[in-house]
Amino acid sequence: MRLAPFELAEPASVAEAVSILTRHDGECRVIAGGTALVPLLRLGLARPDRLVSLHRIPGIAEIRSEGGALLVGAMATHAQVRRAAAVQGWPLLAEAAGRVASPAIRASGTLGGNLCYAESASDVAPALLCLEAEVTVTGAQGDRTVQVAGFFRGFFEAALEPGEILTHVRIVPPPPGAKSAYVKFCPRSAEDRALVGVAALLVTSGDGRQCRDVRLALGGAAPTPLRAHRAEALLRGEALTDAAIRAAADAAAAEADPLSDLMGSADYRREMVRVWVRRVLTSLRDGTQPL
Amino acid sequence: MAARALEFTLNARPCRTSAPAHWTVLDLLRDGLALHGTKYGCGEGVCGTCTVLLDGEPIRACLVLAARLDGRTLETVEGLERAGRLDPLQDAFVREGAAQCGYCTPGMLLAAKALLAESPAPTEHQVREALSGNLCRCTGYTKIVAAVLAAAQARG
Repeated sequence: MRLAPFELAEPASVAEAVSILTRHDGECRVIAGGTALVPLLRLGLARPDRLVSLHRIPGIAEIRSEGGALLVGAMATHAQVRRAAAVQGWPLLAEAAGRVASPAIRASGTLGGNLCYAESASDVAPALLCLEAEVTVTGAQGDRTVQVAGFFRGFFEAALEPGEILTHVRIVPPPPGAKSAYVKFCPRSAEDRALVGVAALLVTSGDGRQCRDVRLALGGAAPTPLRAHRAEALLRGEALTDAAIRAAADAAAAEADPLSDLMGSADYRREMVRVWVRRVLTSLRDGTQPL
Repeated sequence: MAARALEFTLNARPCRTSAPAHWTVLDLLRDGLALHGTKYGCGEGVCGTCTVLLDGEPIRACLVLAARLDGRTLETVEGLERAGRLDPLQDAFVREGAAQCGYCTPGMLLAAKALLAESPAPTEHQVREALSGNLCRCTGYTKIVAAVLAAAQARG
């Protein structure tokens, strides 16, 4: 079955892409890797008459460090993020990128496209929330910077105005000595989207049993990817006892606001948030695998 | 609808062609170039039977616009055989009986080829992970995994 016909623009610069989007507002969609948009086109859920593909823009897939921070171009694929030498200091991002769908999807799907799709069950969004990343968005008025935490406006809705393009993600280094992990709970099969995903970053004091800092973020647990601030606040500065970890997991489950769908009910998702937050924190404390 | 001119390397040979803007790589292969080895399964990137290699990496031909091929290198199942000799993976699939209806086989072969290029001696777990996005509805996974492991040994 063919896609419904559309025009395709392949601009050679971000400025040209913005100009095309601005002139054709409303009928125009940006295409990055196509792993999310093409199924929508196939199903007739999106019917643009023009697509703007970013693939010819020089440098837009670049991954590099700058002044100690990591810059990932919007068109960098998950596969590139996972294996890039520049990402070595951000193991949580590399781990999450390596858990996206299957190898062929990781080789096409992009970090920028994933964020703009604003899917609740994104694998990379919880990692970027924990890493307190920011995105740069370019429009007709120039660039603006948005915290990833403020980029998810609602269910499949990113904080992009018409004519704007996400050009890159900037990530400062994780706190020194931080341990991190991303767990993806897929009750059906490994290449599926997460029923619930949990990213966690933990900094402990000398003996490893005291929580100096913690960041927790959830996928599939609310209409958007979510930072579990109340769970974090319960643990910060506390001893990492089993009871404290259970209390944090309960708080994360209470913060979750999941939706029901064919993969699982809201109640089940909330329970799985509780289970996986507890397991990932315990494993980071003990230096074991979360399973 | 204007066609987009394309020049790329297809199965180790130069290919000059054109495709309408809304064609995917799969449309171009099957309908433009009459290469029917790459199959249409779900059209949404889920089943994996249209898996081909773009610059050596596995992609879903049903999800990637044909325009993305320009200047790049594409390999399909038709390119696996060289000078009348099957690729070691094809050979292993035959010997292990790794095809039942065969519809998933082209995608399995190319996903496996990408794996062996990256990890020449994979573990069974790595094989299963690499093929996790390729569905076989005859449920013949056991022999497919065995064939990939056998091909890795034969190359080793």
